[in-house]
Amino acid sequence: MPALRELQLAFVAAMFGESDEVSAHVRENGMSAEARLGIYQNNLREGFIKALALGFPVIERLSGTDYFRQLALEFLGAHPSRSGNLHHIGAPFAPFLARKFEGTQYAYFADVAALEWAYEEAQLAADADTDVLSAEAFAGVASEDYERLTFEFHPACRFVQSRYPIVKIWRANQPDASGDEVIDLASGGDNVLVLRTPECVEFHSLPAASFAFFEALARGETLGSAVDSAAGSAVESAAESAVDSAAGSAVDSALGSAVGSTPDCVPAAACAHRTDGASANETAFDPGAALRHLLELRILTALRVFDALRSQPDAE
Amino acid sequence: MTDTPRPLPGNGLLDCANRDASGAVGQARASALRAGIGLRAIHHKEVIARGPAVGWFEAHSENYFARGGAAREVIEAVRRNYPLSLHGVGLSMGSTDPLDATHLGEIVRLARELDPLFVSEHLSWGSASGRFTNDLLPLPYTEEALRHMISRVAQVQEALGRQMLIENISSYLQFAHSPIDEWDFFAELARQSGCGLLLDVNNVYVNAMNHGFDALRFLDGIPRGVVQEIHLAGHSLCTVGGREIRIDTHSTPVCDAVWSLYSAALERFGPVPTLIEWDSDIPMLDVLVAEALKADRVLEAHHARAA
Repeated sequence: MPALRELQLAFVAAMFGESDEVSAHVRENGMSAEARLGIYQNNLREGFIKALALGFPVIERLSGTDYFRQLALEFLGAHPSRSGNLHHIGAPFAPFLARKFEGTQYAYFADVAALEWAYEEAQLAADADTDVLSAEAFAGVASEDYERLTFEFHPACRFVQSRYPIVKIWRANQPDASGDEVIDLASGGDNVLVLRTPECVEFHSLPAASFAFFEALARGETLGSAVDSAAGSAVESAAESAVDSAAGSAVDSALGSAVGSTPDCVPAAACAHRTDGASANETAFDPGAALRHLLELRILTALRVFDALRSQPDAE
Repeated sequence: MTDTPRPLPGNGLLDCANRDASGAVGQARASALRAGIGLRAIHHKEVIARGPAVGWFEAHSENYFARGGAAREVIEAVRRNYPLSLHGVGLSMGSTDPLDATHLGEIVRLARELDPLFVSEHLSWGSASGRFTNDLLPLPYTEEALRHMISRVAQVQEALGRQMLIENISSYLQFAHSPIDEWDFFAELARQSGCGLLLDVNNVYVNAMNHGFDALRFLDGIPRGVVQEIHLAGHSLCTVGGREIRIDTHSTPVCDAVWSLYSAALERFGPVPTLIEWDSDIPMLDVLVAEALKADRVLEAHHARAA
């Protein structure tokens, strides 16, 4: 009889079909060791497929139940669960699909899976430690510090960008959708901010420049550098000339109309998706409008002025 | 109050129809003497809206690790109105891999925040070398495995700062070298580690049928007083390799044979807080409530006898 450690390693190897060494240590008692181990192999596979389908119902619907099972088993072989919490298995699924379907007509699966994973993560994210930032929070910031402002976002915010219309695809494959909508994959991409309101998870399709601006800020970039990122990504570079003073004017113009305004709460019935602002091929990026939009979305939870010296602990 | 380990319910407490626990230990104990049901996402809205007449709820710990969002709100609301127990399915306590400190930390945090009636895990393992089957796998019942489980229970109880319960599992195989009877292993684990036992009556029945022992022998092997919670569930009869085997699917009503064994368990252990488990093909909430009421009637009969 092997030690417990060896027995467990051999058992798990049998579960993944790598070795049948453990069979010798199973009491047959009227049923073969293979049949008994097969029950556990089946439990592992079925449990994994079921958990993956719970996290990626749109991919399951797009691929069909039978093909989804095949995909899930291939994914299980490549990325077995690394946690006692099955919620975690979905993390490498979108990259797995990207590799598998690269250059095929199913290349969009990866981006749809990324959106589903972002939805899952948004649902499970922590609540914010502090209240949502209001325009009053800017009161104590000197205007020369605007360039160096950084923000904290609500922990549930996620960013997903695709050259495919992933939000439309997602919506057309919800349980209550008819399922017979024809979607042209070449009809334009989506830049999606995923956020959680007190009622539900929402998708906001943003213009490319706003998306780049929000994402840069969410990464911790300063307002000045986020404006640069956004201007760099704008289809039209008209905004670039204004960049130098853009951060300051962004705050001024955002404050100008945001003070005292109370964004409406989104009712649960309207959940799922909103297209905000102009379409992705808007003409110019307006930092002020974008910052105002960010305040209205109620996803900023803190601001601070970036201090290069303090942020480098080893600096003299 | 949340830092104080809650005294665990013993036997022979007063029965009480009041399901409003409001955190009071006495009421929570009394209320738990009515059967409870598992808290499942599919019933979240209805549970909050209706407040069904069940004694208590049990949640799978892993489903509520999120530090925010809808599930978290639901479990807090349930906790305000009912006694709650946290039942882990993923800690893989019997694995020879080190315990996952993050996973254990989440259970400890949840237990501190929700102050549950019980915190339970399984007499099982599920992972090796970092690969998880996310299943409840049987251990060989050896001295080595017993010592290993005792040290794991000590580690978890120390992290929790309170007693935990360990549940017996259903199994579809036994190891060739497994010299200790399952019930002796289970009882000895409780005696040497100080954990309480969560007796799953369905699992006793399933194993008795699958491995060919007398289910009453299992019950007789467990000392009175250590069983603090009972699980009842349904299983499925399957044919594998030309032989019938019972699989613990939690997808059907509790069968008559398990109801009889439940009665025998209460006879031996007294009226223990009982939970109806149903995890697959989950029916309407009312079906679970009806199963819980059925358990209540058995509990009441035994309680009347014990009084």
